[in-house]
Amino acid sequence: MLEVENTVRGVLRDVLGLNEARAAAFTEATPLFGALPELDSLAVAGVLTEIEDRLGILIEDDEVDGEMLETFGALTRFAASKALK
Amino acid sequence: MISYYDWPGGREAMLRFGPATGPVVVAALPLFEEANRTRAFVVTVLRELAGRGIAGALPDLPGTGESLVPTSEVSIATMREAFAAVPGDYTIAIRSGTLLDAGERKARWHLAPQSGADLTRELDRIRTLGGGSDFGGNAISEALLAELADAMPAEAEISSRPISALWRRAEPDNDPVLAALLADDIAAWVRRCEG
Repeated sequence: MLEVENTVRGVLRDVLGLNEARAAAFTEATPLFGALPELDSLAVAGVLTEIEDRLGILIEDDEVDGEMLETFGALTRFAASKALK
Repeated sequence: MISYYDWPGGREAMLRFGPATGPVVVAALPLFEEANRTRAFVVTVLRELAGRGIAGALPDLPGTGESLVPTSEVSIATMREAFAAVPGDYTIAIRSGTLLDAGERKARWHLAPQSGADLTRELDRIRTLGGGSDFGGNAISEALLAELADAMPAEAEISSRPISALWRRAEPDNDPVLAALLADDIAAWVRRCEG
């Protein structure tokens, strides 16, 4: 789970161009979609595809909703549910 | 330096780097959004190559960059035809630029090649998440999407250097250190090919 969390953190840092300190400060409750100006719909597509590549998982577009993108914790849990099954 | 090249469908602009003699390396950017994200990086690679005595060219293909042809009217076939008409001995291509890498060349060098099927999947995702009308601001014809479905990169030497996904950055970024390393690789490859 920690490995998935670090991967998701790294993806957000790299795709959104966040500095190390800002990415490191993300906690489970940190809001994402709607709260990070960098995270528009095009960036969401990049984040999801990069998570797929780094974790070797496949995310279907109909699984993508506001809930999984709401917080850092929600996105990490979603990625973990795919990667760790 | 800004220059031009002619292809059977007209004339387009290109950036030209390095010496006027010797082998020329022609570069292909990825299609659509990733072109914006990698342009500065590829220009840096070509400048570094010029610093190593090797000439480079970065053409605007029809429907891209300064081209007056609307993106919605181009096809993979016309972009390949235009790329093939750019004078040069070697090619380098990144991501879906490898699908456009055409023409008589001595050899080709690819970085992180992407198949048409993988790009199609990303485009579908971008359209879905963006609300369904266009592809992140790009109008792309059904005909081009059909061409993409089974488009495959040309045969090439593939870079084995580990790289971060510069082409997924939400805001275009550059990586001068990596660009210099890749220019070393490409210069050594050209010299090897030239014997």
